Amino acid sequence: MEFAYTAEQQALRDEVQRFIQENVNEDVRSEIENTDEMSQGPLVRDLRKKVAAKGWVGISWPKEYGGQDGSRIDQYIVEEEFSRIGVGVGGAGSGAPAILAAGTEEQKKTLLPGLISGEITLALGFTEPQAGADLASLQCRAVRDGDDFVINGQKMYTSSAHYASHIYLMARTDPDAPKHRGISIFIFPMDTPGITVRPLWTIQNDPPAPIGTTYGQRRTNETFFEDVRVPATCMLGEENQGWYVGAMGLNLDRVGASRYLISVRRDEDIINWAKDNDLGGHDVSQDPAIRDRLAELWIEAQVCRLMTMRSMSLMERGDTFTYEGAAEKVWAPEHGVRTTETISQILGPYAQLMSTSEEAIEHGLFAHNLLGSFQSGINHGSVQVMRDQIARRGLGLPRG
Amino acid sequence: MDVLLNEEEEMVKNAAREFLGGECPPSLARAMEVDDLGYPPELWSQMAQLGWLGMSLPESLGGQGLPLTYLGIIMEEVGRAIAPVPFHSTMVAALTIAADGSQEQKQSVLPRVCQGDTVLTWALTERDPRFLPETIATEAVEQGDNFVISGTKMFVDNFGAAEKCLVVCRTASASDGDQGISLFLVDTGSAGISNVPLTAIARDKQSQVIFDNVSVPRSNLIGQINQGWPVVQAMIDRATVLLCAQMVGATRKDAEMGIEYAKNRAAFGRPIGSFQSIQHLCADMILWVDGAQLLTYEALWKMDQGLPSSIEISQAKSFCNDKCEAVVRSSQVIHGGIGFMMEFDLHLWFRRVTSWTMRLGTSFEHRSKIAKALLDQPGRVRLGMNLEPVP
Ligand SMILES: Cc1cc2nc3c(=O)[nH]c(=O)nc-3n(C[C@H](O)[C@H](O)[C@H](O)COP(=O)(O)OP(=O)(O)OC[C@H]3O[C@@H](n4cnc5c(N)ncnc54)[C@H](O)[C@@H]3O)c2cc1C
Repeated sequence: MEFAYTAEQQALRDEVQRFIQENVNEDVRSEIENTDEMSQGPLVRDLRKKVAAKGWVGISWPKEYGGQDGSRIDQYIVEEEFSRIGVGVGGAGSGAPAILAAGTEEQKKTLLPGLISGEITLALGFTEPQAGADLASLQCRAVRDGDDFVINGQKMYTSSAHYASHIYLMARTDPDAPKHRGISIFIFPMDTPGITVRPLWTIQNDPPAPIGTTYGQRRTNETFFEDVRVPATCMLGEENQGWYVGAMGLNLDRVGASRYLISVRRDEDIINWAKDNDLGGHDVSQDPAIRDRLAELWIEAQVCRLMTMRSMSLMERGDTFTYEGAAEKVWAPEHGVRTTETISQILGPYAQLMSTSEEAIEHGLFAHNLLGSFQSGINHGSVQVMRDQIARRGLGLPRG
Repeated sequence: MDVLLNEEEEMVKNAAREFLGGECPPSLARAMEVDDLGYPPELWSQMAQLGWLGMSLPESLGGQGLPLTYLGIIMEEVGRAIAPVPFHSTMVAALTIAADGSQEQKQSVLPRVCQGDTVLTWALTERDPRFLPETIATEAVEQGDNFVISGTKMFVDNFGAAEKCLVVCRTASASDGDQGISLFLVDTGSAGISNVPLTAIARDKQSQVIFDNVSVPRSNLIGQINQGWPVVQAMIDRATVLLCAQMVGATRKDAEMGIEYAKNRAAFGRPIGSFQSIQHLCADMILWVDGAQLLTYEALWKMDQGLPSSIEISQAKSFCNDKCEAVVRSSQVIHGGIGFMMEFDLHLWFRRVTSWTMRLGTSFEHRSKIAKALLDQPGRVRLGMNLEPVP
C-alpha cells in the first residue's frame, strides 16, 4: 500500500494548478459560470484545446489514438483539478472506454483523437421512456437494410444531445433474442437526417443553478429517431453484443474524478463557509452538534476519496472491478445527499434561497444542490441496482 | 498512489490467515474466555516463531524491522480469527518502549518480546475515560532512587498474564511547559498491586488495577520526567490504529458469516439471500467494512511513514466504531434467533467487536478532534490535503 502521490504525480498536480492560474482568467470563469456546463462557449473550447495540446486528455489511452500511454492516476489528477473549476476535460463518459475495448481500428482512429481534442462529443442515448434502471428492456429498433441500419425509436434524458457531435446509442437489433442478447451499440453523427431533439428542463434550471451544483447545469432532452439511416460500420462491437459493451463502459464511467467530486464538494464548501462566515453573528462552526455532524460527514467524504483511489489503483494495475465501482456509486451519492440535507439544517431558512436571491448563501449553491443531489444516486446505475450488483456479482447472493 | 496491498503484504496476509485458520478455531476463543491465564502459551510461542511478535520491532533487538503496515495486517488477521492472545497489549507496550525507552530498557524487554517469552500491557485510563492528561490522577512520588505509585487504573488488558505494565502517572501538576505526566515500566508482581477482573461483554481479560504504594526504580522511567504526555499520546495513537485493524479483520469475517448464512438459510421457499432487502443489507455491510479498512490502512501507512496521522487515526476509529458495530449487528439480524444463542459461534465476533467500539476513544471524542482540525484553524480545507491536528 502507498497512500501518497509520487513526487512526479505531485509535480503534475502543481503544473496543472499553475496552468489553471495562468489560463483561467475572469473572462473564462465568467463564461464557465454563465453557460451550460457542457455546451461551453468559445473561451472554454479554446482552453480545452490548450489542455489537449499539453497531452492532458486521455492520458491513459494508447499513443496511437492520441493518448499518452500514461498512468490512470495522472489522468485522475488532471481531471480532478479541472473538475474543481467546472471544466470537464476527460473521460469522455462511458463511450470512450467502450470504443477502446470494442472498437474497430477504423473507429478508434476516427473517434478517439476527436474525443481528445474536443471536436467530437458524445451524447449518451441509452435510457428510454419505458427503460431506465431496467435498461435491457429498451425498444428503440435498429433494422439491417443492406450495408445500413435504419433506426426508429425514442431516447429519454439525452443530456448533451443539443450540442454533441455524435450519439452513442443502444438499440435493439434482435427482438426475438433474450433481452440482453438482442442489443447493439451505434455511434453516429447527430446531424444524420431523422433525429429530433426536444429540451427537457429540470427542477434546478430556473433560476439557473450555480456552477458545481450536483446535476445543476444540465438541460436534458428527449431525442426521437425517425428512419435514421446509418452505415453498419457505425456499430460498436459485435451485433447483439451491445449490452456487454455498454455495461463495461458504464462500469468504468461510474468512477473517477468528476463523479467523486460531485458527491464531496459540498463538504468542503460548508466547512470553508462556516470558517469565514456567520448568520447575523451566530457562529455555526462553534455549535457542538454541528461540529460533530460535520466531522462525521468529513470522514464519510474521506471514504469516498479512498474508494475512488481504490478504483484508480485497480485500473492502474490493469485489473477490472467486480463490485468496487458499484460500491463507490452507492456510497458517494448517498453521502452527497446526507451532506446536502445536513447543510439545510445548519443554515436553516437561508438554505432555501436560490441563485437569483440577493440574500442567498454562496449564490444559492446549497439550495440548488438540495434539488439535485439525490439524482446522482439514480443516474448511471441507481443505488438500488448497484446494491443488487454488489450482492449478486460481488458477494454471490442468489437471484430472486 | 496504490491503496491496494502489494505482493509482499498479500503474502503476509495469506500466510497469517492460513496459519490462524488451522491453529485458532473459534473453540479456542471460547475456551480462553473461561481460562485463568486467558491465552494458550503454545500459540503465543508459535506466533513468536513466525516472527509476528517482532514484526515491527528493531532487527538489532531480535525483531524483523518491517513497516507498521505489516504488523497492522497481522493484527487484522488476528482479529479475523478472534485469536485469544495478548497480542495487542504486548505490541502497544513494546512499540512504545522501542520508540521512547532507553537502550537498557529496550535490551532487557524487547528481545524477550520477540521470542515470545513475555507478555506486556499498559495502564492509562482512570475514572474519567477520556484520553486527556488531566484525567490522570495516579501519582508517582519520588523517594530516593525510586518512585512510589498510588492510584487506580481501569480497563487494563491482560494484566494477569503480563509480566510488565507501562503505567501512566502524574509526577507534577500541569504547567505551561508540560503536562506533569510520566510513564513507568512496572513489574506486575510488585508489592502493593491488586488486580480486580472486570466482566465485559467481550469476556476478555480486562482489569481494574489498584496501585497502593508500589515502588519502582528510577531506571524504569520511560523518557523524561514530567514530559511523558507526548510519549503517551503516541502510544494511544498506535494502540488505536492497531485496534482498528483488529476490528476490521473481525468485522469482515463476521460479515462473511452473515452473507454465507443468507445463501443457505431458506424462508418462504427460497434462500433469504435472494430477498432484495437482505441483499442490500449485505451490500451495505461490505461497503462499511471496506470503508473502515481503507481508512485504517491510510492511517497505518501515514503513521509508518512518520507523517502526522492522528487525524487519520481518529477518522478510522470513529468510522470503525459506528460502522463495524452496524455490520456485526446486521449479521446478527440476518442470523435471526440462532445468532443470539450461546452455542452458536457468531456472538464470539459480535461481542468482541462491540466491546472494541467502546475502547480507545468514542466516536464523539474522535470527531471532536477532527472538528477542531477542520474548523478551528485558518485556511481552506480540501479533501486529500494533510490536516494537522489542533491541540
Ligand atoms: C438529469 C438527468 C440526466 C440524464 N442523462 C442521461 C443521459 O445522458 N443518457 C441516458 O441514457 N440517460 C440519462 N439519464 C437517465 C438516467 O440514467 C435514468 O433516469 C436512470 O437510469 C433511471 O431510470 P428511470 O428514470 O426510468 O427510473 P426507473 O427505472 O423507473 O426507476 C425508478 C426507481 O425504481 C428503482 N428501481 C428500478 N428497478 C429496481 C429494482 N430491480 N430493485 C429496486 N429498485 C428498482 C430505481 O432505482 C428508481 O429509484 C439522465 C437522467 C437525468 C435525471
